[in-house]
Amino acid sequence: MIANQLPLLRRELWEHRAIYVTPLVIGLLIALMAITGQATISANHHVVELALWGAAYMEEAQRAAMITAMTFGIAGLLALAMLALAVFYCLDALYAERKDRSILFWRSMPVTDAETVVSKLVTALFVIPLVTCAVTFATHLVVLATASAWMAVHGANPWDLLWSTAPLGEIWLATLAFFIGMPLWLSPFAGWFLLVSAWTRRSPLLLGFLPIVVLPMLEKSLIGSRVLADAFFQRSVEMPLFRGLGAGPFMLRGDALLEGDALSSGILSRLDVAGFVTSPGLWLGLLACALLTAGAIWLRRYRDDS
Amino acid sequence: MTSLVSARNVSKHYGSVRALDRVSFDVEKGRILGLIGPNGAGKTTLLKAILGLTDCQGELSVLGFDPFRERKQLMQNISFIADVAVLPRWIRVDQLLDFVTAIHPRFSRARAQSVLARTKVPPRAKVRALSKGMVTQLHLSIITAIDAELLVLDEPTLGLDILFRKEFYANLLDDYFDEERTILVTTHQVEEVENLLTDVMFINDGRIVLEAAMEALPERYVELMTSGENAERARQLNPIFERDVFGKKVLTFEGVARERLRGLGELRTPGIADLFVAKIKGAAA
Repeated sequence: MIANQLPLLRRELWEHRAIYVTPLVIGLLIALMAITGQATISANHHVVELALWGAAYMEEAQRAAMITAMTFGIAGLLALAMLALAVFYCLDALYAERKDRSILFWRSMPVTDAETVVSKLVTALFVIPLVTCAVTFATHLVVLATASAWMAVHGANPWDLLWSTAPLGEIWLATLAFFIGMPLWLSPFAGWFLLVSAWTRRSPLLLGFLPIVVLPMLEKSLIGSRVLADAFFQRSVEMPLFRGLGAGPFMLRGDALLEGDALSSGILSRLDVAGFVTSPGLWLGLLACALLTAGAIWLRRYRDDS
Repeated sequence: MTSLVSARNVSKHYGSVRALDRVSFDVEKGRILGLIGPNGAGKTTLLKAILGLTDCQGELSVLGFDPFRERKQLMQNISFIADVAVLPRWIRVDQLLDFVTAIHPRFSRARAQSVLARTKVPPRAKVRALSKGMVTQLHLSIITAIDAELLVLDEPTLGLDILFRKEFYANLLDDYFDEERTILVTTHQVEEVENLLTDVMFINDGRIVLEAAMEALPERYVELMTSGENAERARQLNPIFERDVFGKKVLTFEGVARERLRGLGELRTPGIADLFVAKIKGAAA
């Protein structure tokens, strides 16, 4: 089971180069935005002075909070792209091979259907997020480096203003926790999209999203309750990983970040790993993911498409 | 002799359609069995059942495994082409070899590469960029580089030109086949495999209509080319099929001793293709 996973995962990276191309492109765009932003500010020397003055007179904790907010904003943008990527990946994972009939070749290899489907789930829940996380770190460094260069050009000391106060270790630990926790939190969606991918004969995208949208609407209009709506939507806006920040799985909510003291005690003090791993929502989600994945395995194994 | 494949009353239904109807047969080690039947006869269903790709009723054992329930163990000792040109289009040739090397304990990369070296398949090309013939060459080079006890080929040379087809079968016999291996092959180009086969099985409407060793065919089947009165007399011996060739009658007999036909015309052993037509059409008449 385990020995086959490495070649199977490598296979997924060969097929879906978007797994690393997408975050790299987004990271590059963010870096470009940072550079153009700096260039725009540079045009007006009053603004430059004001910005540098403001940075210099900020308290260290405040400055650290600002940097943390900026880095998490970057992580959030990349996470957003990653979610889209992961959804398309899951919908394609068990559909494309049936469409082009290459499933017959894959199934001629001594690999079980469970091994194959699990490798695709692992790709969605771990490989894609960890690749995105690595690109996020690189983007952080690039943006900080361009900011340093900009400060140096305008006569400020980037070490004092930026590097000495940037809690990079903390930020990256929290970012890593975020990129590990968020996919687990959203895992039932991955399981669902894999199931649709294994099941549908056409338009996986439509069939993947239709029930998520329509079923809660039906429930509301027919029964008047909103159990499904809560199950689907609550999960995508609320994740109990960062205490008190109202952190959704997409990103830390911007307003919470900008609140003066929300981050002044450091992002790690907000990280609530224990609360996350003991939350029933996480385990219910993982259970749903396991059931849906088992369904996908069952379909790949037992459905005879002839 | 050990049975590599053993089927007892194997049936498979698709809704009300009966694709396989209580099929029983054995394939012994070291044989090359040709599975021949018209489209929709149940050939592919039978192969899929043998390969564990579909479930079926009845008892089916392949290399001692239940093919559907023990597919992974089976796949380590078996290699197959279930359909031509089903290699994923996005993969590169070297990636494909990397993958099979990592996944298949009985795959010899060197062997596959030596076969590929004789083709025009570029070693780092994407499958998408290869011609249909090259895709098949690539697939076959991988399949035959697996040290498998049972090789299953479903229309392996479809879409290939005649030169490659001849070469493929020659190589299969010279380089690949030995008494430890068993080959199961289906094809429409019957004449090309005729000299290769040790056994032949006809399947029609989900049933086996003929199962025989090639060397047993001359004893069981004979074709008489004749005309006029002799034809009339020969018809008394219940031919299974009759056809016209250049104004003459060709009658196919099953289980009729050649002595009884001598003097009535030219006798010969029917080729597989003619025998196939005689069995399928004769049964329908």
